[in-house]
Amino acid sequence: MNSGPFAHLNQEPKLPRVLPESPVEAGTLLPPAFQFSQKTLQDYVDCARRFQLNTTQGIRWPAAESEPIDEVEHFMEQGAQFHLLVQRYLNGVDQELLKPADPLLARWWQHFLENPPPDLPEAKRIPEVMLSMPVGAQRLVARFDLVALDPGERIVIADWKTSRSRPQRQDLAARMQTRIYPFVMVEAGHHLFGGAIKPEQVEMIYWFAEHPTRPERFTYDSRQHQANHTLITGLIDDILGRDPESIWPLTDERRHCRYCVYRSLCERGVKAGRLDSGTDDLDPTLAAGDATLGFDLDDVDEIAF
Amino acid sequence: MSNYVGEPNPRTMFLEGPFGAGKTTFAVETLFAWLEADIPPEQIVITVPQRTLARRYILALRSVDRPASGDVSIRTLNGLAQDMVDIYWPVVAPEYGFSDPELAPRYLTIETAQYVIGRFVDDAVERGEFEAIKATPQVIARQIIDNMGKAALMDVPYTAIPELLTQAWGPQRARKRVLAYQTAGQIAEQYRTYCLKNRLLDYALQIELFVDLLKKPPIRERFYGQYSYIIADHVEEEAALMHDLLVEWTNRAEGMLVVADWDGGFRVFLGAAPEGIDRLREACDGVMTMGDSLIPEPALKALQQEIAHGIKPEAVEPVETDELGYSFAFHNFYPQMLDWVADKIAWLVDEEGVPPREIAVLAPFLSDALLFSLTYKIEKRGVLTLSHRPSRALRDEPAARTLLTLTALAHPHWGQMPPQPDVADALAQAIGDLDPVRAQLLTKIVYRPNSDPPLTSFDNIKPEMQARITYRAGQLYDDLRFWLLEDYPQRYEGQTAPLDHFFSLLFGEVLSQAGYGFHNSATAGRVTAELVESARKFRQSLYSEGASLDAIGNRYFDIVRQGLLSALYVASWRDELADAVFIAPAYTFLLRNRPVDVQFWLDVGSTGWWERLDQPLTHPYVLSRTWPQERIWQDSDEVEHQRDMLWKITQGLVRRARRHIYLGISDLGEQGFEQRGPLLTVFQGILGRHPQTPDVDNTDHE
Ligand code: SF4
Repeated sequence: MNSGPFAHLNQEPKLPRVLPESPVEAGTLLPPAFQFSQKTLQDYVDCARRFQLNTTQGIRWPAAESEPIDEVEHFMEQGAQFHLLVQRYLNGVDQELLKPADPLLARWWQHFLENPPPDLPEAKRIPEVMLSMPVGAQRLVARFDLVALDPGERIVIADWKTSRSRPQRQDLAARMQTRIYPFVMVEAGHHLFGGAIKPEQVEMIYWFAEHPTRPERFTYDSRQHQANHTLITGLIDDILGRDPESIWPLTDERRHCRYCVYRSLCERGVKAGRLDSGTDDLDPTLAAGDATLGFDLDDVDEIAF
Repeated sequence: MSNYVGEPNPRTMFLEGPFGAGKTTFAVETLFAWLEADIPPEQIVITVPQRTLARRYILALRSVDRPASGDVSIRTLNGLAQDMVDIYWPVVAPEYGFSDPELAPRYLTIETAQYVIGRFVDDAVERGEFEAIKATPQVIARQIIDNMGKAALMDVPYTAIPELLTQAWGPQRARKRVLAYQTAGQIAEQYRTYCLKNRLLDYALQIELFVDLLKKPPIRERFYGQYSYIIADHVEEEAALMHDLLVEWTNRAEGMLVVADWDGGFRVFLGAAPEGIDRLREACDGVMTMGDSLIPEPALKALQQEIAHGIKPEAVEPVETDELGYSFAFHNFYPQMLDWVADKIAWLVDEEGVPPREIAVLAPFLSDALLFSLTYKIEKRGVLTLSHRPSRALRDEPAARTLLTLTALAHPHWGQMPPQPDVADALAQAIGDLDPVRAQLLTKIVYRPNSDPPLTSFDNIKPEMQARITYRAGQLYDDLRFWLLEDYPQRYEGQTAPLDHFFSLLFGEVLSQAGYGFHNSATAGRVTAELVESARKFRQSLYSEGASLDAIGNRYFDIVRQGLLSALYVASWRDELADAVFIAPAYTFLLRNRPVDVQFWLDVGSTGWWERLDQPLTHPYVLSRTWPQERIWQDSDEVEHQRDMLWKITQGLVRRARRHIYLGISDLGEQGFEQRGPLLTVFQGILGRHPQTPDVDNTDHE
């Protein structure tokens, strides 16, 4: 075989280095095939202990994140539905068929149709893109709601936010999502773009379903890219350097604990923070509709039928 | 060693061979060759019949050696179907007859589906329509749901099932069974109508909608066009419908590798159609065979051939050598066999240096009792164990029992006041330092099942009794009581909140707070999380029915209390990778695809190695595209298929052992009956040809 999809049969096999699945040693910190994401790194930035409980120890702690639970639940569900609606739209489902019955969802949808994120490149629009890259001894993954691009020229990452509140620009700028998404796009999006991407060609836009005329745009440049590289590798090194057996530091910013399920475990309060009294950057509905990152090693099969 | 026959530069290749021949390794190499050749990762899909079989691919794709790039999709058939149904629900739902299709569908799990169909089954059972069937309503419900899923995977209407089963049953056998098939068919229709009316999507409906979508040319084109490079692994475990998709892809793909394991087909009970791989082989441009398993040592290869000869003497010759890579021990009683297994494991680990992780203990079935005594015996000898087993009832978990009892106390109007010992048990679990004796004492004083409220305050107890119980425990009790009877009801102004919210709040605000029993308990967290999740799914799938939250909560409470919901125990990655002996039913082990150095086969005399589960309302072989309609299922068919299954299981197991297999044989089985199953006969034949003495039991047991 010298051409076609099996031409590699004639060559030395090139296999990735997959570590043997040996017994876990005491010092093992992260699950096999673990990938860092904006969510896990944001957890770490907010509170190292939360990252430890959630990611390295996998402790399930089903306390309320915020109250009233039913309202939060409704917001989260509608957020997921909204993401799906846009995905259907971008996949070419006839707009006539996209008429949500839920009033909240219908309002957001109307907002989207009337005031979509402005000035998106037209040539290619790809919903639900996932990219990943190695960072030191780990991988970092990002999943984008929409990537709009003019190949070789400009690339815009759009993210839908269905949160109740609209965070301030400086709060959004500080979020790991705003740092990681353009970073991963520059490093891993070349095959979408048709060649290497310069940071200056990337832009990120948050579009708020409740505030459709006030999207937040973030341009990107080489300086930021370098800073993000330093930040991300620094965080990952910091995590990998920690002792898995000790208790990692609990955050000094106790406001995080109000919206954290582990508050009873950490003895940081009894009742969950209220949705309407949180500051905008802590609004848990900011994560509504955030996609999961595909299936994982410890996923179980819902036995077929 | 491999050989290839076909086109010189194939576009599509069929790769086959036994387990352990290097097929998946080659598939991973192919995947990376494609990525290296700049095939956009988004255009590549890997299909597997179940998620556990994707492990090698996930590990490879997430290796840090892989450069920055896009995502390669890994999908099961169900995953492919869900992707499509999610996107095209608004297109397909109105045509399919769902009510209010502009609303989102609700996905049913096996458990919620079973519950939804349960009401129709119960009615029929009450009318005596399943008298010919010796099965509980839950088992009947499960089999009807199974049939609907199988029909979808065969791509035939589910309404055809009663006729297919009736034809295979034949006119000579008892007519009552046919009536049961018909009733099952009617229930399936009632259940389907109900699902359409309430936008409930069970597995069968998801697959049916998917098939329907693929009949629409633009959607069909989009579906097949999204991936142009395909790796389909373990196609022998896939259903006929998946084979249809893959055959179609062979016509369209720019590159496609189809991988089949010769001895597979273990998922027949889940709709796999191993015979369908011939179609795929024919559809590919070339066939590569990797004929040799790299795993077993020669002695085990010889054993494999001897077992094969024992099962199909007409097809396989016996071997000459007496080096057969196994040992055995006879015991009169079951517990003796377990002691032998545990001793042997301790010896292997301590004396022979075999890592515990390289040992698997396998049985045809794994009851709770067997698992418990085996785990106990092995761990007592200082060796860790890890088990994968069918899950046990959620209510058997102490944390779940505690939550259920407290739920009953907080909902006195349900009239389900728990008995005193349950309340004492719940208080002992819930309150950190309250031991069972003091919990009983406290319960005796404060619990009034017939009063409203049912719990009185610690303050009202005589001081000397307070001192005995301790003030600290009393304070915690009072706070819990206040939360259950006052704080929580007031918050919802006397209305019932969804039960999952109740569990979550009770857990977060009380039971996991400092001083309470769940405070530092990861197990309690996990069990409560399962309860919260399953109560939520239950509520969401029934919500559309218009029932009140209170009634839904009450029903959920009932079914958990009756033990109808199982805990889904998922081992954490740390447990999974721990250096521990793996204990599992043989099928579970086979589908994990992880070879080990040493295997123990428990209870070789059991007929469980041979007999299939008694499933009177369904049939894995008759409900298959290849079973000729109107042909009657004869006893000879049963024997033939059982023989085939025994072949697959034993060949599959030996191929997953590197060094040695120990056979545990006990005269009397777990239930105390004499054991003379066909696997034992096979080994008696082997012993006849190659005599060997039993393994000695050199330890004393009291
Ligand atoms: S409760 Fe507070 S300290 Fe504890 S994990 Fe959460 S954020 Fe960190």
